[in-house]
Amino acid sequence: MKLAVVGKGGSGKTTTAAVIARTLARRGMSVVALDCDTNPNLGISLGVGDEETERLIAMRQALDEGQEEHTPTWDQLVDRFGSDAPDGVRLAVVTRIENPEPG
Amino acid sequence: MRVAFVGKGGSGKSAIAGTFARALARRGEPVLTIDSDPMPGLAFSLGLEVVEDAVLDDAVVERQEGEEGPRFRLRPGLTVAEAIEQYAAVGPDGVRFLQFGKLRGHVASLFRSQLAFREITHGLPPNGRWNVVGDLPGGTRQPFAGWGDYAHTFIIVVEPSAKSLLAARRLAKLASGDRGPKVVGVANKVSDAGDTDLVRERSGLEVIASIPWDEALAEAERNAKAPIDYAPESPAVRAVELLVARLIEEG
Amino acid sequence: MVIADFEAGIGTITRLGEQKLDLVLVVVEPTPKSIEVGSRAAGLASEKSLGRVIVVANRIRSEDDLAMIRSALPGHEVVAIPDDRAIVEADRLGVSPLDLPDRGPAVRALVELAESLPVGVAHQM
Repeated sequence: MKLAVVGKGGSGKTTTAAVIARTLARRGMSVVALDCDTNPNLGISLGVGDEETERLIAMRQALDEGQEEHTPTWDQLVDRFGSDAPDGVRLAVVTRIENPEPG
Repeated sequence: MRVAFVGKGGSGKSAIAGTFARALARRGEPVLTIDSDPMPGLAFSLGLEVVEDAVLDDAVVERQEGEEGPRFRLRPGLTVAEAIEQYAAVGPDGVRFLQFGKLRGHVASLFRSQLAFREITHGLPPNGRWNVVGDLPGGTRQPFAGWGDYAHTFIIVVEPSAKSLLAARRLAKLASGDRGPKVVGVANKVSDAGDTDLVRERSGLEVIASIPWDEALAEAERNAKAPIDYAPESPAVRAVELLVARLIEEG
Repeated sequence: MVIADFEAGIGTITRLGEQKLDLVLVVVEPTPKSIEVGSRAAGLASEKSLGRVIVVANRIRSEDDLAMIRSALPGHEVVAIPDDRAIVEADRLGVSPLDLPDRGPAVRALVELAESLPVGVAHQM
């Protein structure tokens, strides 16, 4: 099942995504939460804390800047470069893949 | 002065940028506002009705076969000053407003107007008459990868929340590589001195102003009105006016 | 299952091709700016047949707020989430609103929405 949350920045998009993710996980689903925002902070709303969220973002940036040898596959992205959030939600920051720069 | 406001969506950057521009214009300064945020904001905060994009497409021409130089440039004979006259909307207090295309779902149509926009902003004479106040997307490298070239100072608008601080730290780090523009912070939606301290400590920025939490600004937003028109006496508007005064003084 | 917090605005939706999603939650607050982005997003989602669209009307303080959103996004399911200081508090503290001692009406409304979604426990990923 694929669910996308969209909206103007600051409208409550990330909070909505996080509460829905954790609630679905509590219902027994296996949930992967993807942060595709150019200002990633889904980790904070999920409850992993800002330090861990920042660490994930830094890791994503390192990936983007080619410090990793291979472009990760989908599974690698989630397994190696993701983080465990409360209620068993798996969080990954995918900013780069989803959002090429304009122009 | 040439400033660009940056910050996470929802931080209040457009409201502050718009109020700042109007306040600056009221002091007799010629002000050009530049909106390169694909999401709406600055026009409302300036007191402009939603501005349908000026047709910037025809401001640029493509390089001909065999010609040298960049692929796109301003139409021959069109100076930056003329481009501003022709394409910028005129708002209250004489503020000029230039925006590049808001995303309407068709990416291709943006291309030429984006290029025209860049030609104009890059072509602004360094010591020209225009004060420039910009509103930049709060996203990734954009502010520091060309979209904010006109700015001498980046002002990061920060709320006292973990998310906003996180974004501010990222933006501050992105800017720290540049030798050029100064990067400072403005704390917004501040309830008390503790909030300002929090912003200062957790963002690492020099905080040049504290804008108080102000219900009037939230109301102005809901009514799509410029804060300076809707609530001219409100604490937040006053705080922005003071900031403008101080920056002019510091020269 | 995958839940994606898209780029703020309509950027990502604009670039989506023929992907099918099961659900698009369009989060809108009762301000003209937010409504403008939300209605474009909902429009694009419908145009591209991306999936079921639910409009999450956020920070609702009054019937007028809800009416403003409903009239700007006609023909879509709308779920109202009340304005709630608890969310602001959680943001300030940097914790999930779900982890505050007192959840508050906004969280309760979002949980209710999540629990109403047609997913089976057996349907993993």
